Amino acid sequence: MREKNIKSILIFAGVLFLLAFALSPFIWMMIISLSDRPDFLGNAEVDYIFTLKNYVEILTSRRLHFMDYFKNSLFISIIVSVAVSVIASFAGYAVSRLRFPGRIAVPLFVLAMSMFPQISIVGYLYTIFADLGLLNTYIALILPYIAWTVPIALWINMSYFAQIPVDLDKAALVDGASRTKTLFKVILPIALPGIFSSFLLVFIACFNEFLFAMMLTTDHIAQTIPVGIALFRGTHGEIPWGNMMAASAIASVPLVILTLIFQKYIVQGLSAGSVKG
Amino acid sequence: MQSKFLVQYEKREVRNAYAFLTPILIVIFLFILFPVIGTLWKSFYQDTSFLPFEFVGFRNYAQILSDTKFWSALVFTLLFALATVVLEAVFGLIFALLLNESFKGRGIMRAVILIPWAIPTIVSAQIWRLMYDYTYGIINHLLTSLGFIADKVSWMGTTSSAFWALVISDVWKTTPFVVIILLAGLQAIPQDIYKQARVDGAKMFKRFRSITLPLVAPVLLIALIFRTIDAIRIFDLVYVLTGGAPGGTTETLSFIGYNYFTGDIFGMGSAISVITFIVSFMITILYIKLGRFEKNIK
Repeated sequence: MREKNIKSILIFAGVLFLLAFALSPFIWMMIISLSDRPDFLGNAEVDYIFTLKNYVEILTSRRLHFMDYFKNSLFISIIVSVAVSVIASFAGYAVSRLRFPGRIAVPLFVLAMSMFPQISIVGYLYTIFADLGLLNTYIALILPYIAWTVPIALWINMSYFAQIPVDLDKAALVDGASRTKTLFKVILPIALPGIFSSFLLVFIACFNEFLFAMMLTTDHIAQTIPVGIALFRGTHGEIPWGNMMAASAIASVPLVILTLIFQKYIVQGLSAGSVKG
Repeated sequence: MQSKFLVQYEKREVRNAYAFLTPILIVIFLFILFPVIGTLWKSFYQDTSFLPFEFVGFRNYAQILSDTKFWSALVFTLLFALATVVLEAVFGLIFALLLNESFKGRGIMRAVILIPWAIPTIVSAQIWRLMYDYTYGIINHLLTSLGFIADKVSWMGTTSSAFWALVISDVWKTTPFVVIILLAGLQAIPQDIYKQARVDGAKMFKRFRSITLPLVAPVLLIALIFRTIDAIRIFDLVYVLTGGAPGGTTETLSFIGYNYFTGDIFGMGSAISVITFIVSFMITILYIKLGRFEKNIK
């Protein structure tokens, strides 16, 4: 009985702590983004005035190019997630279903490749793309992003494919289906939740990526949201906190909503492999 | 007849496998392995504008290793990794244990903890930068009005306060990842063990120490490996929050590398990138040895 009481007190305290931990910075961002001035705290002459002007400025100002950054981020992230889903599905199928020399070595090699820090790749990528005249284009981000995110997608897909009974493939193969057809007609429909969770993780990773975007792009033609927000400057040199928090909210609220809706898939994707492995 | 058919079938299977693997291998070769080899190759060259591109052997490495700036960045990066990983393990465990209990609203709490994870690092860096701000920051405001400090503090003004500012921001952003991994680990523990322990009269904290902790340890280790590798290459948070200030004392390895690259000193930048990779590789090996993975695999 006593243990039960202690437990419910601990749970209550834990919930309060969790809420404060996870939400305070996020709420503070929203408050400042909806405030007329960022310095209403501790300044007796300034009151908190609710306003949408920060959002209006961000969304309408041509000088800030915010919609360009958003469009670039969205386009690049979608292309990369689709490409990675296709590439990692083929690879995952081969590794989990086909017998060939290197069946164990290939996934380990791919995982090892994901161990290299981004900084040890980006310098030479810059040289390559500069030589090819591809700096500041979508391609300069799309191709490295695919290579950078495909290992995690492969590992997530492998863990899903491994749960599907091999008999299903065999039945399709006996009926005369090719391996490609088996993958698309039999495996993918069943493994769709897994593909979707790797799709989401890759999308979010690309939407958030900073170092590659910072090195390989130079202006609003290809720069992504993180770069835009990192380099945010006011017209008069001071930091326009209201505008910056509005931009931050626009950049993060879609991701937060996506995460809350598809929480199940994201959790499965993040924990795939780490528990069983 | 039949064996010939079988051989043909197997040949076709192998051909299929390589065809399915070609795209992934091509992108990884072209955009990871090739650039990494290129970086290694360039680290032995002088590569900067207005000077001839020439082989210099280990000169770049010698120059970096004799630079006190490098050593202070190395120490700073390792301390940052240590502090964040320890705090993330502690908070991650607390939240995972909480979310593993059954109580009203647990589903919502499991979603709420994901919010920091979903926010882009750059955005979270800007939010924390605003909260630490000398004039506008809520942290100075709260601490002065509650009487903890008499005057406002310039959080980015000293190395140690800037260090903790970075650590706190990183812990906020990445603890959810540790929580999710640990929660999956906790859910994999069979409930029967707890029932038996209760029958045997083991109290809550005893059950935690002798059942939960040892059984979740391997999963915790995996989460911490991922987190350490990530913490050692930290760049975006530093770029926005401190920019290396005060006086370059909060620069990390990736940050130095980036500055060399943007300063058009590619040989040196490549050398420091190679060193960053070696450091993170050695730490992974160390973890695997410490965790005695061979034993766990059995």
